[in-house]
Amino acid sequence: MTDFAVATKQIKTLALKAGATVVGVADAAAFDVHAPVKHRPADLLPGARTVVVVGGAQPRAGDWVATSPWLLSTMGTTERIQGVGRRVAQAIESELGYYALFVPPGTASGDTPFLSLMLAAELAGLGTRSLAGPVLNRDHGFMYWSAVITTAPLEVDPPDAAPACPAPPCREMWEREGTTPCLRVCPIDAGGCLGGRLEHDRPVRTAYDAGRCNTRVHTHWVGGFQKVLEETLNEPDRERRKMLVYGDFMTRTLWAITYSSTNIAQCFECMRVCPAAHGLKEMR
Amino acid sequence: MTVTETVKAVGLRAGARVVGVASAEAFRAGVPEGYRPEDILPGARSVVVAGGDGPTAGAWRSADHRVMEITGYDLRENVAIHAMCDHIERELGHYAVQAPSLPVHGHEPPMSMMHAAELAGLGSRSFAAHIILNPEYGLLYYAALITTLPLEPSPPLAEPACPHPGCVAMYKRIGTTPCLRVCPACLSGTMQNARIETSTYDREKCHSRAQTYGIGSFQKALLALVDEQDKARRHDIIYSDFFTKSVESLGFFRDSIAQCFECMRVCPVGRKYRKLQ
Repeated sequence: MTDFAVATKQIKTLALKAGATVVGVADAAAFDVHAPVKHRPADLLPGARTVVVVGGAQPRAGDWVATSPWLLSTMGTTERIQGVGRRVAQAIESELGYYALFVPPGTASGDTPFLSLMLAAELAGLGTRSLAGPVLNRDHGFMYWSAVITTAPLEVDPPDAAPACPAPPCREMWEREGTTPCLRVCPIDAGGCLGGRLEHDRPVRTAYDAGRCNTRVHTHWVGGFQKVLEETLNEPDRERRKMLVYGDFMTRTLWAITYSSTNIAQCFECMRVCPAAHGLKEMR
Repeated sequence: MTVTETVKAVGLRAGARVVGVASAEAFRAGVPEGYRPEDILPGARSVVVAGGDGPTAGAWRSADHRVMEITGYDLRENVAIHAMCDHIERELGHYAVQAPSLPVHGHEPPMSMMHAAELAGLGSRSFAAHIILNPEYGLLYYAALITTLPLEPSPPLAEPACPHPGCVAMYKRIGTTPCLRVCPACLSGTMQNARIETSTYDREKCHSRAQTYGIGSFQKALLALVDEQDKARRHDIIYSDFFTKSVESLGFFRDSIAQCFECMRVCPVGRKYRKLQ
């Protein structure tokens, strides 16, 4: 008979060894009150009991302080955490003998993911939502997530009781100026994406322009390619068509698509200014 | 441990599910000149083949068919091949290259991974689109390396993996097998004395179903776009789910290998590994 305390520890150790910075386990049923039908663990894997979530592959401290704006926009590392998720899924099946479904990192349709990885990270006690949107881990800040749904009744982690957001400097800034670094760098009422406030030292998001954020974060991704392709096809002038095809924008969208694992996002401003996003470790 | 065993152990440790060896010479009988190991690496003596896992049992079980369409693969067999190449060059002092397997003309690769897997004793062709089935694990994904290192070839399979005894019994009873029944559009074949007698498949039909999203679908949509004169309809095509997914599949090729698995879903070979708790 499987000792699930031991099995949980075994899977967590494997995940950390494979490259995860953090790992947690959520109860599959806990998604029911938050996630819409068809996007809950049991909708994807019949008999799902738990969801193992791994986080990591975040930009390094050096990436955040680099002065070139092109560094973060062309040197993403998110793919690494997906590899950890796949290994966890295989280990659960081969070592524990339970079904394991690696949650595909893509979307089922449009912008809708199969399962919200941010919700999974929250329910696995690995972080809490920030005013800027991303789930932040208290020790490591902003990170990328991967999840595995399984029928194994692993030991579930409690939710994170002490949220990373707002960080103490943000609370002070709010009291002083009525804003926070992320709200100030990308204000929704001045062409930005974010709106919100702090209430009893908790972040309360009041507005988020997902469409605008998407076009800024993924400037050179599939959406950028679709945009420039349409423009090219609509352009009657042959010379201008040539300029569009060989232009930096089209070229960079093609780089982004082919180097999908290193060219994930082109805007990190809300996270760049967030004091909670870069982890607690001081660098010299 | 012999040298061959050591090389295999490196591959298995790096994530391969199975590893086999074929002699370079063995390719001469069935492979045209220009596509043999020595045509790729001068002085080639051996071909080492690694088989890696595909979707997990949980993915096969998912109620949402779209999960399998973009489920994500390790492609660990490629990692295993590189680990073995490094070992052969650094530790044993022989040349080693990963065998090229992506198509260079139409569907034709410079070297067939299916044939390499067969010659390395890892599997045999099946009724199901001639997919190589490993007798133990069923569907695996294969990569290979070519080396000047002489290694001990693995023995050929004693019995072909296909047809499975269950399929032989079914054929006797109703004249078909699970794969032939589930996809009569792509597959056809006959059985004699518990062996494949004839087997054919409609590759173009199978390809367009197995790879709904990929380079082919992108080319198809692009042609439709270029041919479309109406601006509003062009806009609809560009921002449709079909085109978006086609472009995404170019970037996330690892996650979007195939979109139809029906002949493999019903195949009993290796099914025991898909039955979990």
